Amino acid sequence: MKQYILQRLASGLIVLLGISIFSFALIHLIPGDPIRIMLGENATAEQVHALREQLGLNQPLVTQYFQYIAGVLQGDLGTSFKTGRPVLSEILERFPATVKLAPSGMFLAICIGITMGVLAARFKDTFIDFSAMSIATLGVSVPSFWLGILLIMLFTVKLGWLPIAGGTGFRDLILPAVTLGVLASTVISRLTRAGMVEVLSFDYIRTARAKGLGERAVLFVHAFRNAMIPVVTIIGLQIASLLGGTVIIERVFDWPGLGSLAISSIASRDFPLVQGIILFIGVIFVLVNMLVDIVYSLIDPRIEVGQTKEGTS
Amino acid sequence: MSQVNPAVLSAPQQKISAHEDGLLRKLWNNPKSRYSMLILLMVIAVGIAGPWFAPHDPTKPYYEALLAEPSAEHLLGTDSIGRDVFSRLLHGTRVTLMVAVMAVSITFITGTFIGVTSAFVGGVVDSVLMRIMDILLAIPNIIMAMAIVAILGPSLTNAMIAVGIAGIPKYARLTRGSTLGVKSSGYVEASRAMGTSQARILLFQIMPNIMSTLLVYTTLQIGIAILDTAALSFIGLGAQPPTPEWGTMLSEGKEYITDAWWLATFPGLSISIVVFSVNILGDALRDILDPKSN
Repeated sequence: MKQYILQRLASGLIVLLGISIFSFALIHLIPGDPIRIMLGENATAEQVHALREQLGLNQPLVTQYFQYIAGVLQGDLGTSFKTGRPVLSEILERFPATVKLAPSGMFLAICIGITMGVLAARFKDTFIDFSAMSIATLGVSVPSFWLGILLIMLFTVKLGWLPIAGGTGFRDLILPAVTLGVLASTVISRLTRAGMVEVLSFDYIRTARAKGLGERAVLFVHAFRNAMIPVVTIIGLQIASLLGGTVIIERVFDWPGLGSLAISSIASRDFPLVQGIILFIGVIFVLVNMLVDIVYSLIDPRIEVGQTKEGTS
Repeated sequence: MSQVNPAVLSAPQQKISAHEDGLLRKLWNNPKSRYSMLILLMVIAVGIAGPWFAPHDPTKPYYEALLAEPSAEHLLGTDSIGRDVFSRLLHGTRVTLMVAVMAVSITFITGTFIGVTSAFVGGVVDSVLMRIMDILLAIPNIIMAMAIVAILGPSLTNAMIAVGIAGIPKYARLTRGSTLGVKSSGYVEASRAMGTSQARILLFQIMPNIMSTLLVYTTLQIGIAILDTAALSFIGLGAQPPTPEWGTMLSEGKEYITDAWWLATFPGLSISIVVFSVNILGDALRDILDPKSN
């Protein structure tokens, strides 16, 4: 167990290192001169020179990378090119809004997904199953931003129940969280159904039924807990697509989180900020996944290192 | 086919070709794939011929009909500068289909190459390639695509490239997995023992046998590519106005959400119909080609 956790930490560290290289390399992968692109065509030679100096772009790559890492470890992610403020404070200012939105969405996704999955499995090959699975397919086919817009049209414009986008209060949170939740619930409901269908065919379920247990006890005490193992893994992995989905949904609802910051920084070609956001999101994702894997290994002692690796592929 | 010697070798190949002969028939016999294929064929027809049928120029503003409701003159209404939404949708079909094909080709070619190389060469190459893929997988797909657009600059072509590249890591992992499966199967080992060259094994045994898995995944990837490209356009990092692209149209429609419901409704509906059909087709393909995985 201890060895598993250590190995998991080590592999997480390698991924973190890779993400740092990726975010560092970003500015060097730009075709042409990044300084010229940031400053525009009318910049003077002095301005170009000054910014190059400021960003340290005139030093050897390896030196630059180590300086970058040294800075990152001390919490210095550079300076936003547009606002002149530290990248980290720009990010931390927007982060709470995203932290509010993403877990709310995840919570709804788990509720919706598991309910639909269990219902579909319980009523396998009936109309309920068919509808639940059609909704799941629809959920991966409908663009999240369109769903968001439709919800605004219905609940804000037509019915006037919820405020128009812009705030960050509880009532403002409802629509974006629902949009996100519906989006992320589809994978969970499919997996829950698959897991339940499999478990329900096992002998011990027949035994449980044979000894006269009520259907509810069979479903929730015997089947559900065993069917949930793959679902828990996928919930960890869903965090990535959830963070990605948040970006788009924040735009729909003018939600002032990391996503909208990412979009505006790319549109204004504020590369230090873009780099910082990529690094930040990558680190969060790796940490969350590491945590999920470790917690998971504590719950289910059968898990070994090799297995989780295949699980993520 | 001679009878004695290559029996081991030809067996899986014959099976595969029999598989492929019947594939279209099987797709036709399955109601899910039949209807989704019919819808997609219609979409492709619209993509090819749509611009000729478009009643108006998709970029021409009708200043006398700004934000006009759907009517006989403008079937799906007009946008804020009076452009005909129906004509823009028809032109957008072609844009969407082209983007999907290009993006998925990038994913398919590069991803298959990396995955097969990784599995086939093994050793250090495998570890290094897969480590890189793991790192890239740690960045959410759409954010990865956004980072690439940040590098290349916002445009439809770059969005397409970005979406294509962002799909590679997952695809490479999948290809590697199925290649490893085939590589360790009895008939490949048998033919290796008989002295068949690596290249022949790769081309005639591994490739045909991983194709069915790849076909399923490529189909599903088309849906993802369409959604992601539209998403990039929606947030202003993809197609630029006045290109009639569905994601861009949605983004313009969002601005007039209170006044003109038709602006955001129809492009979103179009995206959903196409992606839904693609996903249903992908599901059906999986049922037909790879019944175990479901």
